[in-house]
Amino acid sequence: MKKLLIISTVICTLFAVTSCQKDELDLKNPNALTTDQFWVTPDDAEKGVNAIYAMFYKDGLWARWVYFRLDLTSDEGFSQSPWVELADWTRFGYINYNFWEGNSVTWRDTYKAIFRANQVLANVPDIEFSDENRKQQLLGEAKFLRALHYYYAGVLWENVPLVLEPSKPDDLHPQNTKEEVFAQVEQDLTEAFAALPEAWDAAQTGRPTKGAAKAMLAKLYMQQHRWEDAKSTLEYLIKGEGAMYSLVDHYEDNFTHLNENNSESVYEIQFGDQRRGGTGEGQDASVSTTRAQFFAPRGIGWSDGQARFWLVNAFKQEQTSDGKIDERLRYSLFYPDLFKDFGDKIYGRDWEWGDQEAWFRKYQRDYYRENEDYYSEVNFRLIRYADVLLRYAEVLNELGMTSDAYQYVDMVRARANMAPLATAYPGIGNNREAFLNRLKTERVLELSGESVRWEDLKRWGDLEDQASVDEIAERDPDFENFEVGKHLRLPIPQVEVENNPNLEQNPGY
Amino acid sequence: MLMRTMLTFVFRFKFALLLAVFPMQNAQAQDTLEVSGSITTPDGAPIPFANVLVKDTDTGTSADMDGNYSITASSDAILVFSYVGFGTEEIPVNNQTVIHVQLKEDVAALDEVVVVGYGTQQKKDLTSAISIVKSDQIQKRQTTTIAESLQGLAPGVNVRGGGRPGQEARIEIRGLKNLQSANPLYVIDGLITTANRDFNPNDIESVQILKDAAAAAIYGSRAANGVVIITTKKGRSGPLKVSASSKMSLTEVPRYDLAGQEEFVRLNNMAYDNAGLSRQELDLNVNTDWQKEVFRTGLIQDHNVSFSGGGDNSSYFISTNYFGNKGTVISTDFDRVSLRVNTSGRKGIFSVGENLALSNSKTEETGAPEAFRGNPFIDVIRLFPTIPVYDDENPGGYGYGKQGVANTFAANPVAIANLIDRKTENFRIRGNLWAEIDPFPFLKYRFNFGYETSFDDYLYLRREGNWTLNQPYEPSFTNQNKAQSETKLLENTLTFDQEFGKHHITLVAGTTYQKNNYEQINGTKRNLLVNPNTGEYFDVLDLGDQGIVGGFRNESTLISYLGRLEYNYDDRYLLNAVLRRDGSSKFSDENKWSNFPSVSLGWRLNNESFFRSETISDLKLRASYGELGSGDIPDYQYIGLINTFGAIALGDGQTLYPSATQVRLANSQLRWETLKQTNIGIDLGLFDNRLQLTADYFIARTENVLFEFPILLTTGNDGGSPLINAATVENRGFEFNAAYNQVVNDDLSFNASLNLSTLRNELISLGSGLNESIQGNTITRSGEPVGMWYVLQTDGLFQSQEEIDNYTNSQGQVIMPDAQPGDIRFKDVNDDGQITNKDKTVVESPWPDFEMGFNAGVQYKDFDFSMNWIGSFGATVYNGFRSIVDRFDDDSNYRSGIQPWTPENPDTNFPRVVKGTTLNARGDSDRWLENGSFARLKYIGIGYNVPTELLGKIGFDRARISLSAQNIITITRYNGLDPEFSNNDIFQRGVDFGSFPNVKTYSLGIEFGF
Repeated sequence: MKKLLIISTVICTLFAVTSCQKDELDLKNPNALTTDQFWVTPDDAEKGVNAIYAMFYKDGLWARWVYFRLDLTSDEGFSQSPWVELADWTRFGYINYNFWEGNSVTWRDTYKAIFRANQVLANVPDIEFSDENRKQQLLGEAKFLRALHYYYAGVLWENVPLVLEPSKPDDLHPQNTKEEVFAQVEQDLTEAFAALPEAWDAAQTGRPTKGAAKAMLAKLYMQQHRWEDAKSTLEYLIKGEGAMYSLVDHYEDNFTHLNENNSESVYEIQFGDQRRGGTGEGQDASVSTTRAQFFAPRGIGWSDGQARFWLVNAFKQEQTSDGKIDERLRYSLFYPDLFKDFGDKIYGRDWEWGDQEAWFRKYQRDYYRENEDYYSEVNFRLIRYADVLLRYAEVLNELGMTSDAYQYVDMVRARANMAPLATAYPGIGNNREAFLNRLKTERVLELSGESVRWEDLKRWGDLEDQASVDEIAERDPDFENFEVGKHLRLPIPQVEVENNPNLEQNPGY
Repeated sequence: MLMRTMLTFVFRFKFALLLAVFPMQNAQAQDTLEVSGSITTPDGAPIPFANVLVKDTDTGTSADMDGNYSITASSDAILVFSYVGFGTEEIPVNNQTVIHVQLKEDVAALDEVVVVGYGTQQKKDLTSAISIVKSDQIQKRQTTTIAESLQGLAPGVNVRGGGRPGQEARIEIRGLKNLQSANPLYVIDGLITTANRDFNPNDIESVQILKDAAAAAIYGSRAANGVVIITTKKGRSGPLKVSASSKMSLTEVPRYDLAGQEEFVRLNNMAYDNAGLSRQELDLNVNTDWQKEVFRTGLIQDHNVSFSGGGDNSSYFISTNYFGNKGTVISTDFDRVSLRVNTSGRKGIFSVGENLALSNSKTEETGAPEAFRGNPFIDVIRLFPTIPVYDDENPGGYGYGKQGVANTFAANPVAIANLIDRKTENFRIRGNLWAEIDPFPFLKYRFNFGYETSFDDYLYLRREGNWTLNQPYEPSFTNQNKAQSETKLLENTLTFDQEFGKHHITLVAGTTYQKNNYEQINGTKRNLLVNPNTGEYFDVLDLGDQGIVGGFRNESTLISYLGRLEYNYDDRYLLNAVLRRDGSSKFSDENKWSNFPSVSLGWRLNNESFFRSETISDLKLRASYGELGSGDIPDYQYIGLINTFGAIALGDGQTLYPSATQVRLANSQLRWETLKQTNIGIDLGLFDNRLQLTADYFIARTENVLFEFPILLTTGNDGGSPLINAATVENRGFEFNAAYNQVVNDDLSFNASLNLSTLRNELISLGSGLNESIQGNTITRSGEPVGMWYVLQTDGLFQSQEEIDNYTNSQGQVIMPDAQPGDIRFKDVNDDGQITNKDKTVVESPWPDFEMGFNAGVQYKDFDFSMNWIGSFGATVYNGFRSIVDRFDDDSNYRSGIQPWTPENPDTNFPRVVKGTTLNARGDSDRWLENGSFARLKYIGIGYNVPTELLGKIGFDRARISLSAQNIITITRYNGLDPEFSNNDIFQRGVDFGSFPNVKTYSLGIEFGF
């Protein structure tokens, strides 16, 4: 009898576990918010939009490697890095298309930014806001930022997939053409323009304005040679409702942390040095740019990027109206005669480098320190008014309104104390080609090292025939490696092509 | 919570119940007798220390030196007599008080009891693929983990170790069946755990390896990679026995044959000259042998003492161990102290026992984090002989690369050893408590409570100073974490065991519940203060600035129901069927539960009446099919998370605003991965089982393989690819084992065994709409093995400009117009007139054709000798060492004695050396692939057992001295440090890139017992 009792007890205990299985297996993550808990409040929307801005601080984008693509690959810069593969990627030595620092990380971070924008655009419309205007602004910001990243993807790789919805792990995105990508950029910017304010209050500086959206749109139209559209768009900034910009008195104020978000700034990437957690996604992830560390001369920074010496000579072709050296040289480059010409040392040092070497000085912090680090707080002026003016001149010239174009070039020249263009170069007259040629130089003198040269070369068609490439190669021997029809765009990271049946490698690769 | 209350209740209730059972059982106790007698061989020679056991109890004793025994047993009990190397005899007491027994020498221990999970079976009744490894085989080697000790001892068990102190060997049973982790499930005394470096292999009594699905099915969801069941030692009844062993081993790491300073300078200058670059200003006053600075002779100490004994109804076993391994690389060290107590007791139908192990281990590792990580096996070959170890000009005072003088980004390992401390300490408690009641001879209930907890400390201290060129300034900092892991296991099983005539049925039914917790808190502080007393930094998380704290907590639960039927008809027909149902918290709601069935059959032909053979003493055919699950993935993977760490600077004051978004994608559809395995096998015993042959063939197919497959970068995913159930992988293999044992006479016996395994791995499909996946230099595509080499093919060197001009495709296009004489000719596979990634093809396989082990032993009088060989044949591997030192585009040190192509020396296969161009140096060509076949003398040793006559005088029972060596002979054509390297990247398993090689070990051991 007792044995029977034991056995029945035992059998009961055996199956006692069943009664509570459901709760036991249903474990919630105690460590983080989950996606279905988020995207509920307006505050979530704010944070979600901020996360798109945070992509500016990542390696592949505006914290580091994008400058290698836009500045060093162009004829303004080059690399003598002892890291041979890194240097190869600034001189069309694309062998391993998966090279992380040269290609894949910029691709990945571009799409990380797009994923973040897509999360906002998919989820925020369903969030209830008491301030509907703010909701529309947030959506506008997301569209502006998505457009910005697609614009540069279009410039760098051209034929990239358009991803417009939040991603799923098994997505195999179809490829799009450059034209389709640019059409999406146009749409996003147009919608962003409608939603964004003309200006932000002081606590929100750094978010895009209507003017910023127009300026991006103008860049896009010019890249597409849609000169009429570009003209009307730029006029919004120069003489229309958005004409609130002016050149700052001191050229150098565009490249330091001392006079940021000034009247010349149309769109500016905000950097700070408060957080030191690196460029990943961890706690204390930094909000800085590391460009200064990578572009500083040998012994100060990594010197992975430096300036071609022809730039120094270009500045010295023409003197100011009072017979001096163009001061823009002083703030654009470190070069052997910097001390002789302007009395500036290089991070407190005498020139100790080659007599035909130069480095970019813009965004370097020698004006207040003797070294660099990974946490530069200097904002990057992605679009400034001088660029807008020179663009407007270019557009007018393309539309046969060359004589109208002069005044805008002269505004930029005047700040540098250069004589009016017609005075300095009377031979140009109304010759469209001669004017464009001069404008190319004017853009270099004003904008060298500001990441516009690569899109300029592409827009002008200078990379499309061998003769003009040969001409560039005289300034920058890296272009001897340039193959017309191929190196105009980067190879798509090979893993993407291999793992996505809907994606073709770019032609020639 | 409900669960806990419930269990506590059940637990309490059971104890109450058990207390109630005791007096009742006393009253029912049978008459007991004192039985004694002698145990001898058929020749009448006594068998000292032979075992005597009362059947179905834990009561046992051993005979004395003269083979005499005495034991208390009930009048109707059955005594079981056994001894290693002899057959087992069962004799009913039947009221006799004197029983003499003769044991036959038995080389084929078919009656050997095999632990099969929630029960035992006799070896002859097995219907599935199980390998058994004896403890003496394991304990004679000097290893850190049990896995290493198994190398070469069982077919189908592939083990790759490494020489880093505390390194845990990789063990793979029957190939790569999934893509998560190849580690098998370890069950130590019924506790489901890992036999990691915290476990003392000296405590092992026996190891069984469950290889096919039918064998492992009882462990269901975690058994897909096979199960290693470890039983630790128990005490035997009798007076206290003490045994002690001590082993000291010297270890040496294999070294590279590198160029000396003069040869380095000549070659380096040649590379710069060929590139038309001005030479580096190498510092010719310096001549550093980096290997000498970084490598040293290591020392392993392994000291073990155990105490065991027991009474008629109880037993105890206590052991303590110290294991210390001073590594062969500076600043590497591993130390472990451990204690084990195993006890059991019995009263009537009730028995209870526990196994408890405590261990504390400390590891010191070398290496820096992330991008500036230093791997000493890479750094010693990238550093030049012209770089000094110390250089006062550099921050911190260590020498390293300098632009124009020594163009290398290699890290100085001496600097890293001194500037960085990386220490891990784990205190682990592991054990279980069990109770059994067998109210009827045919019924047994067992309750098992397992508990394991580990307290982990990690300390990382970085002092100021640099170890490589272009290193950004970094302040001193410390990063520390403290963690606790905890596993609770509750199991209830009921076993029914009864014979009905010729039918023998065993039924097992049970439930298990397992809960795992892991909690960590961590913190970082920078700019540490220096303690003026010691000159060292304060390495507590108090002083310093920029503090960051963090922490997390992970939990998972697994609930299972299991059942097994064993059926034996007349010792001729055997059937085993298992069903297990598992529920795991790691999967999404609709996919939490899954069933894992298996069935296996055996036919013992030798017991058939028609079977008559003098030579064949045992013949069994086996077949099995089973399904197993695998869900060994991190917690909460099916849930998408929001990363709230980010911030942005905005506004004129550049104020920080918080950001939050989803960074890593998640797969909400995660479900169990399923392994379906079929096994057929044959066991054959010849010549009275002196020769035993076992052969198995299996097909193992894994579906819905869980893996963090690289997903498209266009998804914008970061922080690791999300897990998906994607691929289907199949492994087919053949395993063969032959063992021969012969006792020639009292003085001489010998044994030899050979095992052989072949494995054909094949990816059936990749899933996610993908056909192939390229990882590094490997491709994984449907219909081929995982991770095949996918590279450009080289085709000799160009000897002249003419050859370059004539090297055209079918259209007459010159394929490599930029090449120069002396450069490598690559094959233009797709005939498009240029060398691109499209010319890559599958060239070789990283998988061996077959692997084998050979073990032999001889005993002559008091001496014994044994050796183990392992071999792996037919794999192609990537020589990372050569891909660095032979490339020349990027500076490093070079191999000694290379003869690069020059116009004067065209008769060579080593291309022209050129600095700065990757043409000849590209890493994705077959230039770096080599034949990875090898045979290695894993172990060789001799031992001397001090004769008992001598020992008697000093009061010892047993004393033994042994001398042994490991890894001292390797036969291979491979040019890297060690062909037996391991790479944990499953797709790039054949890439030898700075793996810590196996060390040569020379050991002296003594053991004694009294």
